Amino acid sequence: MGTLELDGVTKVFPDGDGEVVAVDDVDIEMRDGEFLVVVGPSGCGKSTTLRMVAGLETISSGEIRLAGQRVNDVKPQHRDIAMVFQSYALYPHMTVEGNMAFGLEESTELSDEEIETRVADAAETMGIAELLDRKPADLSGGQRQRVALGRAIVRDPEVFLMDEPLSNLDAKLRSEMRTELQRLQDELDVTTMYVTHDQTEAMTMGDRIAILNAGELQQVATPLECYHEPANRFVAGFIGDPSMNFFPVERDDETLVADVFDYPLSAPTLDDVGAVTDLTLGVRPEDIALAGDSSGEHTFSTVVEVVEPMGDENTVYLRFADAPEGETFIATVGGLQQVSAGDEITVEIPEETIHLFDGVSGEAVHNREIDE
Amino acid sequence: MSNDARTDGGTVTEADPGASAGLLSGLDAYRVLLYLGLLGMLTFFLIPIESGLVTSFKTPSGVSGSLPFAPPTGGTFTFEKWRAAFDALGRGLINSALYAIPATVISALLGSFTAYGLTQSNWKQKYKAPVLALLVAGVFIPYQAVLVPLSQFWSMIPLQEWLGFLWALGINNDYASVIELIITHVAYGLPICTVLFRSYYKNMSEEMIEAARLDGASIRRIYRRIVLPLSGPMFAVVLIYQFTQIWNDLLFTLVLVQTESSAAAPIVLILAGLGTSLEGQDFALRMAGAFIAALPTLAVYIAFGEEFAEGVAT
Repeated sequence: MGTLELDGVTKVFPDGDGEVVAVDDVDIEMRDGEFLVVVGPSGCGKSTTLRMVAGLETISSGEIRLAGQRVNDVKPQHRDIAMVFQSYALYPHMTVEGNMAFGLEESTELSDEEIETRVADAAETMGIAELLDRKPADLSGGQRQRVALGRAIVRDPEVFLMDEPLSNLDAKLRSEMRTELQRLQDELDVTTMYVTHDQTEAMTMGDRIAILNAGELQQVATPLECYHEPANRFVAGFIGDPSMNFFPVERDDETLVADVFDYPLSAPTLDDVGAVTDLTLGVRPEDIALAGDSSGEHTFSTVVEVVEPMGDENTVYLRFADAPEGETFIATVGGLQQVSAGDEITVEIPEETIHLFDGVSGEAVHNREIDE
Repeated sequence: MSNDARTDGGTVTEADPGASAGLLSGLDAYRVLLYLGLLGMLTFFLIPIESGLVTSFKTPSGVSGSLPFAPPTGGTFTFEKWRAAFDALGRGLINSALYAIPATVISALLGSFTAYGLTQSNWKQKYKAPVLALLVAGVFIPYQAVLVPLSQFWSMIPLQEWLGFLWALGINNDYASVIELIITHVAYGLPICTVLFRSYYKNMSEEMIEAARLDGASIRRIYRRIVLPLSGPMFAVVLIYQFTQIWNDLLFTLVLVQTESSAAAPIVLILAGLGTSLEGQDFALRMAGAFIAALPTLAVYIAFGEEFAEGVAT
């Protein structure tokens, strides 16, 4: 069975006299057939993690187990995994058929006829059956991508590894291939580890998301959990576009005090906060609502600095009335709402939508309420 | 040649949009000058070759009685010198090919192997670096510096005894020097071949090699099925370069074969004395000999020219 476990996996690169920890004590467990997206900013160690699973990088410490077997010292060619690279890495001197057959010829004892049948099947699945005689140079970017995927699926491996496979495609083709990949994953049901820096891909494709930052695993959870119940400030800021607004606040008894506003808290929220006084208040742009009047506890008067109309909604850059110019936060409002720069509007930040993070460690101390 | 093409192309694109009468006259003067200049250079470079070619077809009286670049006329025209040169050089052509072809192929192959090991394999950098440093140093060792050690070395090797079975077959034992030349040229050519292949392999996609590893191919299989088939252009460069070097080399043949009277004398040794005697120089014979000696290198250039251009461009 294609379970994949990473247990305390660490990668240390020597750097001059010192060393750099690229991946720090990462624990991930993937069940058979799961689609896990590893996401994080560039340089966070996500590709290194993938390459360690592939066997292309050595593991400094920790253990990787594939189907329960420790594979730390198994060579990449014996791990029974297939990888799709960002550059596709097709063999330019071979035809599409040659590219797809190569792995079967090298790693199995199959007969020529059997290989031919399997390549034809995989090509059919990927919709590239009519391209089998062409060389990679004669293919478009999208077709090369399909060949690269076909080369992986024809092997029928325990695990697929994908390293930003869609990042060389244009936007339209990328969303097409995203759907295609999800369809494939449903059909083949092979454990897949998918690395990307694109949080849209992470949200839409993954059964679960693993978020890495600076080599450390921040959270492994379903996309919606990551979105609504982030484990810490980094996850909250990374997932979601436009990203969550953060305000540094100080708790004074039952009120959060910022430079330019006060935010009273109710008893249940206060219970979550406990004794912590140094906090960060987080709220998602879509949770900030336009308010008719300023009578509520959590309403604030603001000035509109910039409006970015997106059609379905407007992204509005707001500033608290007392805040200096340029110190803005983002709210998204309906596309038909008439808002223009310079307007003074009142907004509400409902208490059930706020997140509170420890101001020092960044750990979430209170997440928004979700109506079940 | 590529320079010509570029200059030409540049002027065409400039001339096309400005096809109005005023501009055209100015450009025409420029073009006339340009073509005159190019023609002048062409003549300058081709005259010696043309002179050599026409001289090789002249009788002695024709050589002394006409300008060097004037073509032979009816009475002074002869194929005699080409026939004589071919008779004298024929065995040299075969002898030279006997060591030049194997030495070229072996040094190119070994250079390719070494460069593959130094780039795409996952051997530790601390092992690769000293090997590369030695090879780079090897590129810069001048031929002259190794001549004495070279003859000392070969005098210590009992090659004549080891090859006894060949002499028993009736092969002249002078041919031991062919083996010596092959090994010497392979050893001497290996550094430059490796350095050339290394720069080519460094630019090869690392992800492609990794993909092959994940596809289950071993390091040897990756070389045979991926790296070697993609090395064509660089093999053309190395084969042309090495073949020209080895074919034209006189120093090693002087040290290892020594005399043109040897049965294994290469063409360069025979050519050196061809047409020279106490009575003076037979220019026509020397020219014919030079052309015969140069033909194989020319043939190699023509055979690999297209790949060569591709390999140099990368």
